[in-house]
Amino acid sequence: MIEFRRHILDNGLKIIVHEDKSTPLAAVSLLYLVGSRDENPQLTGLAHLFEHLMFRGSENIPDFDDQLQAAGGENNAFTNSDITNFYLTIPAVNLETAFWLEADRMKKLNLTEDSLENQKMVVLEEYRQSYINQPYGDATLLLRPLAFKVHPYRWHTIGEELHIKKVTLKDAKDFFYSHYGPDNCIMVVAGNVKTDEILRKAEKWFGKIRMRNIQSKQLPPEPPQQEERKLTVTKNVPADAIFKAWHICGRNETDFRNLDLLTDILAGGESGRLYTTLVRDKKMFSYINAYLTGDMDPGLLIIQGRLMNGVNYDVAEREIDNILKEIQEKMIEDNEMQKVKNKFETDFVTGMVNILNKAVNLSQYEMMGDAGFINREIENYLGVTAEMIIKSALKYLKNNNCSTLYYKSLNSN
Amino acid sequence: MSQEKSIKPEIIPVTLEQIQDVKISSLSNNVPVYLVDGGNEDILKIDFIFRAGLTNEELPLQSSATVQMLTEGSESMSADEIKRQLDYYGITFAPSFERDYACISLIFLNKYIQEALGLCSEIIFRPRFPEEELKALMNRKLQWFLIDRERVSTLATEHFFESIFGKNHPYGARINKEDFTRITPYNLRDFHSKNYTPSSLSIIVSGKIHPDTVKLLDNTIGKIIFKAIEKKRSPQLPYSETTKKTDITRKEAVQSALRIGMQTIRRTNPEFPALQIVNTLLGGYFGSRLMKNLREIKGYTYSISSYLVSLELSGYIMIATEVGKKHKSGALNEIIKEIKILQKKPVQESELQMLRNYMMSDLVRMFDGPFATAESFRTVWESGLDFNYYLKLADKIRTITPDEIIHIARTYYNIDDLYVITAG
Repeated sequence: MIEFRRHILDNGLKIIVHEDKSTPLAAVSLLYLVGSRDENPQLTGLAHLFEHLMFRGSENIPDFDDQLQAAGGENNAFTNSDITNFYLTIPAVNLETAFWLEADRMKKLNLTEDSLENQKMVVLEEYRQSYINQPYGDATLLLRPLAFKVHPYRWHTIGEELHIKKVTLKDAKDFFYSHYGPDNCIMVVAGNVKTDEILRKAEKWFGKIRMRNIQSKQLPPEPPQQEERKLTVTKNVPADAIFKAWHICGRNETDFRNLDLLTDILAGGESGRLYTTLVRDKKMFSYINAYLTGDMDPGLLIIQGRLMNGVNYDVAEREIDNILKEIQEKMIEDNEMQKVKNKFETDFVTGMVNILNKAVNLSQYEMMGDAGFINREIENYLGVTAEMIIKSALKYLKNNNCSTLYYKSLNSN
Repeated sequence: MSQEKSIKPEIIPVTLEQIQDVKISSLSNNVPVYLVDGGNEDILKIDFIFRAGLTNEELPLQSSATVQMLTEGSESMSADEIKRQLDYYGITFAPSFERDYACISLIFLNKYIQEALGLCSEIIFRPRFPEEELKALMNRKLQWFLIDRERVSTLATEHFFESIFGKNHPYGARINKEDFTRITPYNLRDFHSKNYTPSSLSIIVSGKIHPDTVKLLDNTIGKIIFKAIEKKRSPQLPYSETTKKTDITRKEAVQSALRIGMQTIRRTNPEFPALQIVNTLLGGYFGSRLMKNLREIKGYTYSISSYLVSLELSGYIMIATEVGKKHKSGALNEIIKEIKILQKKPVQESELQMLRNYMMSDLVRMFDGPFATAESFRTVWESGLDFNYYLKLADKIRTITPDEIIHIARTYYNIDDLYVITAG
């Protein structure tokens, strides 16, 4: 049981405090409800670029990282389609330094042409390192616009190179004031702290920041897909690969858990059905995986794999289809259900060992509606039945709901 | 509101005063067991560490293939059964290999300890190494290998180790395509019988330890007896190749990978703690000189790091980064420039203070919880040291002077001795 207290400041900042006296550290997670979904389609990548700019100086503090490190802190951040999450750990005795830093940059940034140009270069190198200079690195960049035609999930969080290059200082400033602010943020403090003292200090540092009245944007829902979509690319990679994506439900719907366990039945560990059949027994794939993208709005279930040399796409795809059909047509046995539940429980419990993970998880559950979900998650997963999984599989894993990317090797023919 | 002064809170320096003791026990077959108790969750991690790394190989891939083939079938279980059982009890079974050691790390809920230990003694000590499974694994590994070789970072790293440790030494020798088809079940059985013995094994247990944990270990792993078989002798000390600069061209690459460094002292050397501090100052944390210059000022790269690693027979330092192709020579110049500055200009008090506070807190993080503590233990244990090393390091972090930093930079970062490998 993870105990916590929730408090909301007058300016809308939600604060969650969890005490854990077994560590000398404190962890802080600030989750801003802004992601690439909030971008202008002509200016993709701005949310992520902005995450970088958040470290380049605020009203009173020019050097966020130096100041944090001088207090023994360590931090990082990530951006996805839905959120931007900043997180840090610091010796609990110096927690107030983290508040001083986070409050100052929540209030006002000191953006300059120089820091904008510099971070554009850094982000473009990140783009090259992670997506271009990697075999298959651009597959998800190609898959998203194939699966989504309307919803902003159609572009990848990293954005387009040309868009990143043309971001102006004004774009950046506008983005800050329309998305960053206490009323669009969840802050979790976890670790060796006293709740009352934390709430007092939070009021002192964050209480005076003005509410920004941030409007949550109404996004156009993705219309139901009516036909199978396919895209083939040929690139200089050593083997053919395949990526299949089906539209699923949003993160908060009960189908999500069913589908999550379904991906474990398919590809969790080396006893997953896809692995056992296609990698080990039939030796058609060298690698295969299944996972959910985990977006708040309806996202994707993705199956991706690399074919062994000499295996052609038709055969490989038929084999994947057969395994999916088997799920939909036959009963899943009890011990297979028990297996994926046990695995879920171990992974969930292991994730709670680290104070930073706990803080980040609490902020994500709060975003989904209630930090207290964290204490019911295991129970919720244990309650999933074979019938529920089969029903969800039947509902979503249909051909006219599927987009397939054939990522071909230049040498394969 | 904006007129209000934002008054910076006072920083309270943290110290590493004492470290939780590691309890030492041993099993009936004399396998040493190190115990790190703690944590809120009822889970356990067990590391089985065998002296069965690259230095014990008589053939390339022997070490990695042996540890990865353990789950592919044992005397009484098929690969299928093994994997289904491990997954059924939610046991994480993670094999890994390094230059000097091979390791199997288990993580499981304590309620399944009997099943976990029973399964693992079967998997680790009675493997069959079936031929068909080996062939399939090698085919898959070959594909990964070929994909990996598309990365400029792999090409540069591989050439770097070959250069600093010598192409005939296990630390530096590269793997070739042909090695994947050459290896046989016999090679693995031979390697296993020589190296997966109680006398080559040490165990680290961390997490919530119950009163009967060691007894349960003894009832399973403690019962394993092997005949002593003559092992391969330790190899000679590695020595570096003569060519120091290599540029591997990859026309289609959009970035260049840089690897710069050389062999260095081991952790047992009294100057190692100081070297660890200088390495952090140069490229070991986000506020480092290299990160500030090449990322935050020049924008040449997403990331740059300097590594300091101590091995059984040697140590090395390696600066690693991927930069935009057109910034390759600019980046090289800046890296060399930063090393020269370290060798000439005394570090300013404010920067040194930041480094001291950061490193001291980092030390505290290294002992935050049983898993982190166990990992920190393993690091020094592999060098034949104990937690006193960290107390010495803490002391050095507190007391190192700007002059000492210059001395260390001059002694261990001699520009003429650096190997400079670029790819892309």
